[in-house]
Amino acid sequence: MNGLMNRKLLILLGPVLALVMFGATVKMASSLMSREYRDPYRVPVAATDPTPRAAGVAAEKAEADKAARAKPYEEAEYRRFPGVGSRVAIWAVAQLHLLFAAFVLAVPIFALIIEAIGYKTKDPRYDRLAYEFSKLLSVSFSLTATFGAFLTFMLIILYPKFTNYLMSVFSPTFLPYVLLFFAEAFFLYTYTYGWGKFHPLVHLGLGLGLNIVGTAIMMIANSWLTFMMSPRGISDTGAVISVWEAATNFTWMPINVHRFIANIAFGGSVAAAYAAFKFLAAETDEERAHYDWMGYIGNFVAISAFLPLPFAGYWLAKEIYAFSQTLGLTMMGGAFSWLFIIQAVLIGNLFLGANYYLWLGMGRVEGAQPFQRFIKYLLAAIVLCFMIWATPRSIIATVSEVRAMGGSAHPILGFLGVMSAKNTAVNILILTTFMSFLLYRRTGKIATVSWAKTGHAAQLSIFAVAAIFVIFLGVYGYFVEASVRIGLSVPQVSAVLIAMLSITAIDVFLFRKPKNTGEVRWGKMPAISQYVLIFIAVTFTWLMGLMGYVRSGLRQHWHVYGVIRDTSPDAFTPTLGFATQVVSATVLLFFLLIGFVFWITSLHDRPDYAGTKGEGSEIPPEFAVAVPGEHRGPSAS
Amino acid sequence: MTVPLPARIGALVLATTAFYTYVGQLVPQKEVQPPQETVIRTDLTSADMAKVGREIMEGKGLCFTCHTIGKSGALRFPDLDGVATRAATRVPGMSELDYLAQSIYEPDAFIVPGFNPGMPPINKPPIGLTDQEILCVIAALESLGGTPTVTLQTTHRYLAGAAAAGGTPGPAAAPAQAPGGAPGKPQPLTPPDKGAAAAGSDGVVER
Repeated sequence: MNGLMNRKLLILLGPVLALVMFGATVKMASSLMSREYRDPYRVPVAATDPTPRAAGVAAEKAEADKAARAKPYEEAEYRRFPGVGSRVAIWAVAQLHLLFAAFVLAVPIFALIIEAIGYKTKDPRYDRLAYEFSKLLSVSFSLTATFGAFLTFMLIILYPKFTNYLMSVFSPTFLPYVLLFFAEAFFLYTYTYGWGKFHPLVHLGLGLGLNIVGTAIMMIANSWLTFMMSPRGISDTGAVISVWEAATNFTWMPINVHRFIANIAFGGSVAAAYAAFKFLAAETDEERAHYDWMGYIGNFVAISAFLPLPFAGYWLAKEIYAFSQTLGLTMMGGAFSWLFIIQAVLIGNLFLGANYYLWLGMGRVEGAQPFQRFIKYLLAAIVLCFMIWATPRSIIATVSEVRAMGGSAHPILGFLGVMSAKNTAVNILILTTFMSFLLYRRTGKIATVSWAKTGHAAQLSIFAVAAIFVIFLGVYGYFVEASVRIGLSVPQVSAVLIAMLSITAIDVFLFRKPKNTGEVRWGKMPAISQYVLIFIAVTFTWLMGLMGYVRSGLRQHWHVYGVIRDTSPDAFTPTLGFATQVVSATVLLFFLLIGFVFWITSLHDRPDYAGTKGEGSEIPPEFAVAVPGEHRGPSAS
Repeated sequence: MTVPLPARIGALVLATTAFYTYVGQLVPQKEVQPPQETVIRTDLTSADMAKVGREIMEGKGLCFTCHTIGKSGALRFPDLDGVATRAATRVPGMSELDYLAQSIYEPDAFIVPGFNPGMPPINKPPIGLTDQEILCVIAALESLGGTPTVTLQTTHRYLAGAAAAGGTPGPAAAPAQAPGGAPGKPQPLTPPDKGAAAAGSDGVVER
């Protein structure tokens, strides 16, 4: 008991002592720093003349004061951020704000869907899963708001003139934005902390409100940034003609759609990474089973959103070209063309990782062996498409090599570096991943409907026709004029989308009331599968950072493209190597912070401190705090 | 010894970002500087102008982002080899000089068969070449399959009789490309004095 008292005393005295020492150090340092020449101590003041130095210091001070008063007010155009410079500082803060915002917008979307499934099926597991996802929100929301405020202040401090211009154009949107932000806070906290406290339908309504408000906030913020890329609604001199037109500029809606889908993919992957972390740290089979399932759902959400993402990307690129061919060609054929090779590596890794996770997942289902034999063919197709996509048009070569090749394009491989080949590769990649999903869905069950054989044949035929059509158009693109070739990507994309939608529709009816041939053994997954989930989350985050860079960097030396020129020392476009370093630093910072979010969230599940010391019994039961959601029974779902 | 879980995950995150950073170092590294203003002396000969024009085409004009010289096959934009010869006969009744000037100031007025519209007016931002710079570019184009004849005193329909040497203002001072204009549609002509008015104003485009 005495030992315990002594330890408590030490714990109490420790911080006090530290504070006293800190205060003494500050006092000593400030005293030493403020020392300057003074008159000798023992000489009577009246007996000495003022020293020339004292007069000089006084004159200097008066002069500086006079100069400061005479200086006219001058509006600063730019200010310099120490060390890394203004651009990198803004870049990192904006990227961190965006990553957290994407997470905060995405999680409520799938939390709501999962909660709705739980309500419909009366399965409490879904309710618990949705609650588990939503627990990540409150800390992330605070960090999003903090980084948002940080970004605003940084813009005002570092780019005052440009920020002033943006404010003059978009000032009518600021008040609605703030009001929506209040509404977001209301819905988010009532949704998270109100779990199990309201009627399920009321709670679902709160979730719906949260999603609508969140999306509206994103759309307003998107109008500001897309205006910088594709401005309209302003006169030749940059004066505002129509705020509505400025907000709904050329790239606004494509960015809205692209971000909405990408946020879901990103949020799903980060939530899956959280589940992976919890799975690896789990101590019981029950915990492992739960977090395996959570990781599976998170990854399913991520990949489902990821598959249509390239199509949204096509639309965005099309609008960029429609707004300005120069901008489009700078993106795809100019300074940024090599960035898309890096993007190909990232997306290739995402497809490989996602497929690998699915194939590993087949192992947790009994009777999966018949489907596992297809894996090698799927892997071969993915690797082949990946290689084609990552093949550059111009190869880095020495002068003699370029002469030998007759140009910077390789005589054979050069044909794979053009859009006809790349579009074909990415569409086949999507179809192959979709095939992996279909195989995974089939593990452990057999269709029992009377038309099962016809259904399977129809699905296979649709898949084959779509693949052949995509490849045919890819080859055809080599033999037609540019104006025709550009248009071929639309039917390619449409074929893949139609195939995925129709095959899914058939699948839903085909596997109604199936015969189960094997149980799903949740939690029976190798540890490497969880590291794959974390790898996917890091890759998604890095990809978002990279694509954020190209979207913003595309403007090159313009703050607002063609309207406000960047005249700061950072007006140049940095090398891709430098850009990737900044992206990596931001990604590492994000994961450090998201680790913090995970840690805070995990505190919720830890036993009380008093409980761990055997003093829990001292709390009367009437004062015990109920954990939201955990008392909620199946009937409440 | 078992490595703690946070350390293992941290190592994975670090290794993944390091790998992607490494990939970023493998691609060609090019730092793109903002275009420099070209100072054009008034005593340049046509041949000198062609040289200056070629430099502008390679740099500030961004011409070779889209166009090629001496390339055949499936091209996205017309190849410029021999353009001087074709320019004289491309549009009936239009001189070589007027055709080249139109291609630069009003590129959507005539689209070469087999190609799509897409070239922006080069005298407006974001490229925003001055009238003097455009004359140099015309001289460079004339040298591709012909002999440059333009001088800095040459006038054409887009200069509306104004002496080029007097020039319209530079690109940073030029007005924005009409952002509300639908892409792909012909852009209206910009009278030289409109740009001058914009440059003289206190508008933000002067930055």
